[in-house]
Amino acid sequence: MKRLFFACLAVLAWASVGHAEGPLQDILQEHRALIEKPSRKTISPAIDDIAASGLDQAQRMLQAWEAKNLWQRTEDGLFYIGTTSGDALTLIDVDTGEELPETDKSAADQLKPNAGVRRLISSALVQFQLSDPNETRRLEALESIARRPEESHLAPLQASIEGEENRAIRARKERLVKLLSIAFADTPQAQIEAIEGVSGDLNLEVRAALNPLLATTRKVSDVIPAGENVAHVMRLGEDISRDEAYAALVEAGYATKRLTPAAIKDILAANIVDGQVGGVPVADLDTPEARDEAYRALAAAGTVPPFVSAEEVDEKLRTHVIYDAYNEPNGDVTKAAQSALKAIDLNVGLNQAADLGLDALSLASIYFLAAIGLAITFGVMGVINMAHGEFIMMGAYTGYVVQQVIPNHTLSLVVALPLAFVITFAAGVAMERLVIRKLYHRPLETLLATFGISIALQQLAKNIFGTQARPLTAPGWLDGAWVLNDVVSISYIRIAIFVLALCFLFLFLFIMKKTRLGLETRAVTQNPRMASSMGINPDKVNMLTFGLGSGIAGIAGVAIGLFAKVTSELGNDYIVQSFMTVVVGGVGNIWGTLAGAAMIGTLQKGIEWLNPSNTLAAQTFMIIFIIIFIQFRPRGIVALKGRAAGD
Amino acid sequence: MGKSFLKNHPTMLVFLALLALFTLAITVFSEAYGSGLVSTSFVKTLGKTLCLCLVAIAMDVIWGYAGILSLGHFAFFGLGGYMIGMWLMYERTKEVVLRSLENQTIPPTETEISDAIATQIFGVVGSSDFPLIWSFAHSLTLQLILVVAVPGILALIFGWLAFRSRVTGVYLSILTQAMTLALALYLFQNDSGLRGNNGLSGLQNLPHVTAPQSEISMWFLWASAAALGFGYVFFTMMLSGKFGMVVKGIRDNEQRVRFLGYEVEHYKLFLFTVTAIVAAVAGALYYPQAGIINPAEIMPIASIYLAVWVAIGGRGRLYGAVIGAAFVSLLSTWFTGGQAPDIPLGFYTISWVDWWQVLLGVSFVLVTLYAPKGIGGLFDLLKRKEVQK
Amino acid sequence: MMNIKTALRTVLLASTIASPALAQDCPADGPIKVGVLHSLSGTMAISETTLKDTMEMLVAAQNEKGGVLGCELEAVVVDPASDWPLFAEKARELLTVHEVDVIFGNWTSVSRKSVLPVIEELNGLLFYPVQYEGEESSKNVFYTGAAPNQQAIPAVDYFLDELGVEKFALLGTDYVYPRTTNNILESYLEGKGIAAEDIFVNYTPFGHSDWSKIVSDVVALGADGKQVGVISTINGDANIGFYKELAAAGISADDIPVVAFSVGEEELSGLDTSNLVGHLAAWNYFMSAETEANAEFIKQWHAFIGDEARVTNDPMEAHYIGFNMWVNAVTDAGTTDVDAVREAMWGQEFPNLTGGTAVMGTNHHLAKPVLIGEIRADGQFDIISQTEPVAGDAWTDFLPASAVLESDWKDLGCGMYNTETQTCVQIESNY
Repeated sequence: MKRLFFACLAVLAWASVGHAEGPLQDILQEHRALIEKPSRKTISPAIDDIAASGLDQAQRMLQAWEAKNLWQRTEDGLFYIGTTSGDALTLIDVDTGEELPETDKSAADQLKPNAGVRRLISSALVQFQLSDPNETRRLEALESIARRPEESHLAPLQASIEGEENRAIRARKERLVKLLSIAFADTPQAQIEAIEGVSGDLNLEVRAALNPLLATTRKVSDVIPAGENVAHVMRLGEDISRDEAYAALVEAGYATKRLTPAAIKDILAANIVDGQVGGVPVADLDTPEARDEAYRALAAAGTVPPFVSAEEVDEKLRTHVIYDAYNEPNGDVTKAAQSALKAIDLNVGLNQAADLGLDALSLASIYFLAAIGLAITFGVMGVINMAHGEFIMMGAYTGYVVQQVIPNHTLSLVVALPLAFVITFAAGVAMERLVIRKLYHRPLETLLATFGISIALQQLAKNIFGTQARPLTAPGWLDGAWVLNDVVSISYIRIAIFVLALCFLFLFLFIMKKTRLGLETRAVTQNPRMASSMGINPDKVNMLTFGLGSGIAGIAGVAIGLFAKVTSELGNDYIVQSFMTVVVGGVGNIWGTLAGAAMIGTLQKGIEWLNPSNTLAAQTFMIIFIIIFIQFRPRGIVALKGRAAGD
Repeated sequence: MGKSFLKNHPTMLVFLALLALFTLAITVFSEAYGSGLVSTSFVKTLGKTLCLCLVAIAMDVIWGYAGILSLGHFAFFGLGGYMIGMWLMYERTKEVVLRSLENQTIPPTETEISDAIATQIFGVVGSSDFPLIWSFAHSLTLQLILVVAVPGILALIFGWLAFRSRVTGVYLSILTQAMTLALALYLFQNDSGLRGNNGLSGLQNLPHVTAPQSEISMWFLWASAAALGFGYVFFTMMLSGKFGMVVKGIRDNEQRVRFLGYEVEHYKLFLFTVTAIVAAVAGALYYPQAGIINPAEIMPIASIYLAVWVAIGGRGRLYGAVIGAAFVSLLSTWFTGGQAPDIPLGFYTISWVDWWQVLLGVSFVLVTLYAPKGIGGLFDLLKRKEVQK
Repeated sequence: MMNIKTALRTVLLASTIASPALAQDCPADGPIKVGVLHSLSGTMAISETTLKDTMEMLVAAQNEKGGVLGCELEAVVVDPASDWPLFAEKARELLTVHEVDVIFGNWTSVSRKSVLPVIEELNGLLFYPVQYEGEESSKNVFYTGAAPNQQAIPAVDYFLDELGVEKFALLGTDYVYPRTTNNILESYLEGKGIAAEDIFVNYTPFGHSDWSKIVSDVVALGADGKQVGVISTINGDANIGFYKELAAAGISADDIPVVAFSVGEEELSGLDTSNLVGHLAAWNYFMSAETEANAEFIKQWHAFIGDEARVTNDPMEAHYIGFNMWVNAVTDAGTTDVDAVREAMWGQEFPNLTGGTAVMGTNHHLAKPVLIGEIRADGQFDIISQTEPVAGDAWTDFLPASAVLESDWKDLGCGMYNTETQTCVQIESNY
């Protein structure tokens, strides 16, 4: 039976071998080794041959290859386009497009070219796709050109504009022609024209096209040769240090290398005679001066190359010039590019400032959101709740659990937000009744007791959900970013958080100023005894207020989980910042919290901007700044006056 | 004063006697000088616990006696560790470097030695130069002075700023917490010059000492016990008499004490600084036993735990702090060490590694709510019963 | 006084003699003990708990095969709780109280540096399974994870050669591994002709979540028309925010490819990967490797952990190789004695899960192939490049201070040998 099966297989294989021969397959087989193990550096001949073959089927084959859909049959090494469903594989002949009978996946190897090779493939596809009837393919081709502009693209691109019917694509094509002309136009005049056409344009592509024109090479010479498009002549001590300059001279072959201390040491070690080097006893060679002296002695005796003295270095530096020269020989082109970039840079600078402002605003709204619950419990009631961070965490986990039950992300969010509020509200009320109520007159102990709750809750979360971060995925409509231009953009999720923060601000104001609960809360805060003699039940008010603060923390948790991550330590990351937001802003006033959040957010982004390579430093300095700030305004930015300000 | 002082503080005598007895017992049962019943690793644990007790009494003085809940004393503890760690690391590395350079044909220059040491120490953080703050690391004396001076001065400056602007109560707690966080974050940076997240390691290997760890660990246990005893006596003496009364007065009603004409801020600042220095000394003894100090040690959470220990042990009495620190930290070691037996409930097995933190948190809440005097309060109960009899 | 001291000494001496000699064949008092030193609580529990489970699985599987030297194995698990000093304490406890014959453990470099002095003092044996920054070779440690030349350098080569990246953003969490790796890479890249101003470096704190500024900084790097690539040594949770921000900014792997050294299957399981398709990771192992050994291993893992959804990852393979090599070395040596086992470890070979054979070098590092994978939508990786086995280099060739150092425990008997001065810098490691 088995034998029969193999026989059939062999016949089939034979048939398919005969079947599979075609012009494209031949080209592929010719480059078989390259295609099997493709590398960006070696694959070009294969792709070029396929592209230049002029075969109609080449486009289909290249597209399949790019999409990792090209397969190689194990038994005969022929290439096929493949589609899979489960373990079944359908091979399609690259030349005829004919489908072969379904086989098992193991009968062929899937070719997975890396991204570099895929980029070359898509570059080769450009010529086929520019006038493809399918719009997406045309856009793909344009995308590919934008990513890797090549001189060879210019002509086909220009030619394809004529027949383009879709206006948007046509505009895109025209723009790309302009960008390509900057680098590849035939005459400098055409180049300059193209450059002037984009002056002030913020687009990243524009800058990417202009900047390469201004690429420079460092050169060393005794006289600057004529016809050199010099960008900048280096001045000693200002643009370049003496050592660097001399090293450049050495590298260019204009000077001899100075010996490093280590090299001197090696030479000395090689020239020990009777326990002495150049008359200096070896045991005395433990200072640099002694070593120099020994070396000079050796040099004077002619055993080693002479010492390059400081005067010689000066002389060499005086007689040579070090400069940066543009790679682009035409001075007018570089000048035009320079002035175009200058205009752009100013524009970019302004927009970067705006972008930084947006970032700061976004960070501020996150801090505000995290702190607003605390502003109620701490700010209004004076209760230090160290477990506030854990309420945020509970909210985030609620979001995660809801998402497990309701797979629709939008719907799950709609359910999760109120549910998070309810759960953390309940937790807050429970905590108030069981713990905090008993400690109203001992604020420091509240701090410690709630800290105990915080570590217990954190560990509980770990026990229940594990230590691995859990996914909380935003609905599709919150994906992506609002892009103003190539510099200024902000992700939708951050905008959503900003909007949520605003909502809470107004909600808070509404509750405090317009509802009975707010009135009673304010009354209880200012004078609990008087309030209770007016018929207000302070216990109930405190409980509800605390629940409200906790509930808002829960909702904040969902939002924070959406934009960052859900872990049991989520709360930890925000608790200190939240407290500082409230304290810096001024306790007992929502506008203060807002001001605090704004200040901390702006400050952190500002310091990050000053020192972009170290975000940790930004956080450190921010905290130090806050500590100092509090020394001068112990009551925060917006300080309450009068009785309410009492501790 | 001598006799009446001792008479007035019987608990101090009891404490000192117990401490001496404890030290003697450990010595007798140690691997190095005794029967070997107590393993070296446990000796180290005990030695470290003594240091924690010392920082706990400092915490008790500032919080239990003066009412200032500082969430920064573990930062001073860590700073002390860093200061002694710098010398330990420098000296040990220097030993290694000198040994390796010994048999070179040409004797090394000063710069070469110092470069080699720097490469050894900072290679791990990708640098090979000594940062400025290591200028004194070559000298034990100078570095010992720094153990006291750096945390002392930091506490002095911070305290002066905070007390001057009348930051009190929970605000001060939050502010000290912020200071601790800033310090920890600063040290986390590689550029801080203290090897960033890796911190200083290998501190248990004392330079120029060839004795085995079993002996070294005993030396540190003795030193820690002595420091704890000395600290206990020091604080008892300081807090007895008029000074102590003023301090307690500040805790109970700061305004009133101020109106009586006392410079409240000076008292607070003095206490804050002195306790910071004691914490630093404790840290300097602790970290050579732990073997490694790094910024994670001084994150704010550690300082909060310190407060937890003192609260569980019982505030406002020095032995309470000692009991709390010893009890909770040893229990913590036991539970997280995996030695505590799991409790099978049939449907679920309680594994202490997972549930210890929950237990700690909850019991802490309970202590705060129902036993504000902590474990120390039990002694009061006993005493009262005795009196009743 | 003198007398007491002498007396104490005598007692000490007596107790030393009385204590049983190191484990010979089957210890009379029980099984051969394998210490497992991984955090089960605290921040590192996320990653390390999996490795503890892996070790328990491997030990159980070995016992089914009849143990080692005819003795049963027992895993002694302790919890150092992500607390670095506690690692040293627990290591001492494992070696002196539990008297284990070998320890498998640690994840972070700082925890390894913390246990090094203890392991060396007590002559223990540690297998360290995680990719790390190199610059170390201890007599008592076998490094089964990747050194920088087995992960970072091949990944950068891939960026340079295959993706044509001309401008690099090195983003990392601020701790030793990223710092050292980035230092090595900077020096390597400069050697490859990348100008210093084309290398952007940024460090963020652990668990960082606010990535918008950094992502826009990276995008802005592309302004001069050069292909930008990101080399990420961002650790743990922080990756989630980073990738979310990348996706939100609409940056695809075709625009700016990101290669990560600390992101594997486990980390991706906390993420929606549909937006990350095409970004890269470099490891010595991917779960998607199509070999029989790997399929078997995954099956065994799923059966042990009782959850089909759990993934396998690179450090797990490292433990798998390390443990099996240790078993073979013990069998070869006929004893669990540390010195004998160490010598038997040199040149020990064991098949990788990804095909080919791993070889333990005399510098205590493995020779393993380097794999580069592209993230797929299902959270797994498409392996797009697999090198020949690369021998782990304890001391990098790309930093001047380390280039002259060499490690060879067999012939030189030194882990830090200066080839210029021809001296052993130190026998203990630098911690």
